[in-house]
Amino acid sequence: MSFRLEPPLPGTTLLAWRNLAHDRARFAVTLVGVLFSVVLMGAQMGLLVGFAQTASGLVDAAGADLWITPVGTTNVDIAASLAERRRHQALAVPGVARADPYMVQFAFWRKPGGGTESVIMVGYELVSGRGGPWRLDGVSPDALKVDDAVIIDRLYADKLGVRASGDTVEINNRRARVVGFTDGIRTFTQSPYVFATHTNAQHFTLVDADRTTYVLVDVADGHDSETVRAALAARLDDVEVWHARDFARQTQTYWLVTTGAGGALLLAASLGLVVGIVIVGQTLYATTVDRLPEYATLRAMGAPNTYLYTVILKQAAIAAVLGFTLGALAVLVLGLGSTRSNIALATPFWLIALLGALTAAMCALGAIVSIRRVMRIDPTSVFA
Amino acid sequence: MTAPIVVLDRVTLTYGSGATAFTALRGISLAIAPREMTLLLGPSGSGKTTLLQVMGCLLRATTGEARFDGTSLAGRSLEALTQLRLRHFGFVFQHYNLFPTLRAWENVAIALDLKGYPRDELRPRAAALLARLGLVERTEAFPSEMSGGQKQRVAIARAIAGAPDVILADEPTAALDGRTGTGVAKVLQQLAHTDGCAVVVVSHDPRMLPFADRVVTLEDGVVTGDTPRPATGYDPAGETHA
Repeated sequence: MSFRLEPPLPGTTLLAWRNLAHDRARFAVTLVGVLFSVVLMGAQMGLLVGFAQTASGLVDAAGADLWITPVGTTNVDIAASLAERRRHQALAVPGVARADPYMVQFAFWRKPGGGTESVIMVGYELVSGRGGPWRLDGVSPDALKVDDAVIIDRLYADKLGVRASGDTVEINNRRARVVGFTDGIRTFTQSPYVFATHTNAQHFTLVDADRTTYVLVDVADGHDSETVRAALAARLDDVEVWHARDFARQTQTYWLVTTGAGGALLLAASLGLVVGIVIVGQTLYATTVDRLPEYATLRAMGAPNTYLYTVILKQAAIAAVLGFTLGALAVLVLGLGSTRSNIALATPFWLIALLGALTAAMCALGAIVSIRRVMRIDPTSVFA
Repeated sequence: MTAPIVVLDRVTLTYGSGATAFTALRGISLAIAPREMTLLLGPSGSGKTTLLQVMGCLLRATTGEARFDGTSLAGRSLEALTQLRLRHFGFVFQHYNLFPTLRAWENVAIALDLKGYPRDELRPRAAALLARLGLVERTEAFPSEMSGGQKQRVAIARAIAGAPDVILADEPTAALDGRTGTGVAKVLQQLAHTDGCAVVVVSHDPRMLPFADRVVTLEDGVVTGDTPRPATGYDPAGETHA
C-alpha cells in the first residue's frame, strides 16, 4: 500500500513540504527525532503527573473539605495519631457539617504462603463512606462490616500473596480476610493500601480505640471554608488544619521532592526537550544548507526575509505536527498500557496539550539556527 | 525614442576596502530602454555580471547614481530594493536555478505567489506562461526530468511571471547546445519586441549577437563600445556590427 501526502498550492507551505520530503531518509530521521523527544518528554511528565496523582490519591478521593492532621504532618501516608476527641471538638466549631475519623497507618502483612510485606492500613467510617475505597471491583463497601474484613487492590494482589476474595492473611499478627478488590488504586510508597472500617483498622494496627490519624471535615453549606479552617486551627491544640487541595499538594511535594523522583523525572523530560531541539535543529540546518542556492535565488527574485523565514518555520511546523502526532499516540498507548501496572503514567488532556506546546517550541528553537544562516545569504551568489 | 527605464550615471563599484579593494566598475554611464535587447559582451572579469547586479538592485553603486524609471536608487533601504526587484525585474540565470523539488508549473507559480497573485490563479497563469514558451507538455515535469533548453525556458517563464519591466539574463545560453541556445535567444528577443521589456543579456555566446538590438562591450570595468543594431539591412548571420 502506498501512502502519499500532498501539500497545497505553491507557496511557502509547498516549498517547506518539498524541502523536507524530498530527502526521505533525512525526513524520517527528523520525524523519529521529534517522536523520540515527544515520547521521552511525555513519558517522563506522564510519570511525574501519575506519581503526583498517586501520592495524593487518598486525599483527592476522600472528598473532604478540610483535613485535621497531627502537627508536623508532611504527607498523608506518614503521620502520628490524634485523640479522637478532636473530632468532637471539631464538630463544635461553627460551619462544620461533618467530622469523621480517618486512620492511615503502616502495618505488616503476612502472606498466606509466607513472607511479609509492608502495607498502609486505611480505616474509614463506613456510615459516611468518607475516605473509603473507590474503584470498587464488584464488591460493596458493606462487605467490610465483618470484623476481619479488608479490601485490597488487584494491582497488588500478587505482591500480597492473595489469589482470590476470601483468602485469609495476618496483619500485625491478627487474622484478616480479603473480602474484595479495588481496581487501580496505586500507592506511591509501594506499600499497598488496605481498606477496612475505622474500628477494624484500629484493631489491626494496635491503635487505642480513642485514637485516630486524621479528622476529615465537611464544611456546611453557606460557610466559607477558609473561615472554618482558621476557626478549627484556633480552637484545636496540637493539630494542623488543611484545605484538602493544600494537603494533597503538600503530599505530592513531599514525595516527589524528598525522594528525588520529581527532579529525576523533570531532568529526563528536559533532556528529551534538548534532544529534540538538537535533532530538529540539526536536520533543519542540513536541509537549509542543501537549499542555500534556492534561498539565494528567492532572495534575488525579490523574496522578502519573511518569505524565507516562513519556509523554514513551516518546515519546523510540519516536523512538529507529524512528530507530535506520532509521539502523542505513542504516549497515549504507553498510558493505556500502564493501567495494568503499578506504575502510573497519566496522560490528561492538559499534559498532551503541554506536550504539543513544548514540541512547537522545540521545533521553533531548532529553526533559529537555520533562520540565522538564511539571514546571511547573499543573493548575488546565484550569479556563479 | 522611449524613455530609458534603467539609467546608470558614472557608476563605480568597489569590492572590499583598503589594500584588498577591487574596483569592478569604473564610471559607467548607460541607459537601458524598454523594447530593446541589450547584449553585454566582454572577457571574464570585465565587470559584466557586476553591472547586471547593479542594474538589478542587487548591488549598490559605490559612487555615481543608478536610477529606475527616473527615480534614484541611492539611499533606498534593502527592503525597498528587494521590493523593487520583485515588482519590476525578472532574472534568468546560467544554471537555471530552478527549485529541483518543484514541478515546472510550481517553479513558475512560486514567482507568482511571491508577487501576490491570488492562489486560485497560480496554476492557470503558470500553465499559460509555460505554454507560451512551448512547454505545454512539460508542466508536471520536475527539473531533473527536463533538458537544459526546457529548464531554461521554465526559468524564463518564471522570470516573466508578473510581467516585469526589465529582464536580466546572465549567460542564459552558456549551458545549451547550438539550436537550443538560439531558441532561448529568440525568446528573449521576443520579450523585448513583443512584450516591451527591457532585456539585458550578459553573454560570451556569439549566437546571441544576431538577436541583440544593442551591443555594449566592457573591459576592466569600463564601457569600451556601445553599438546599436542597424535600423535596416541587418544580417542576422553576420558576426560584426557596423
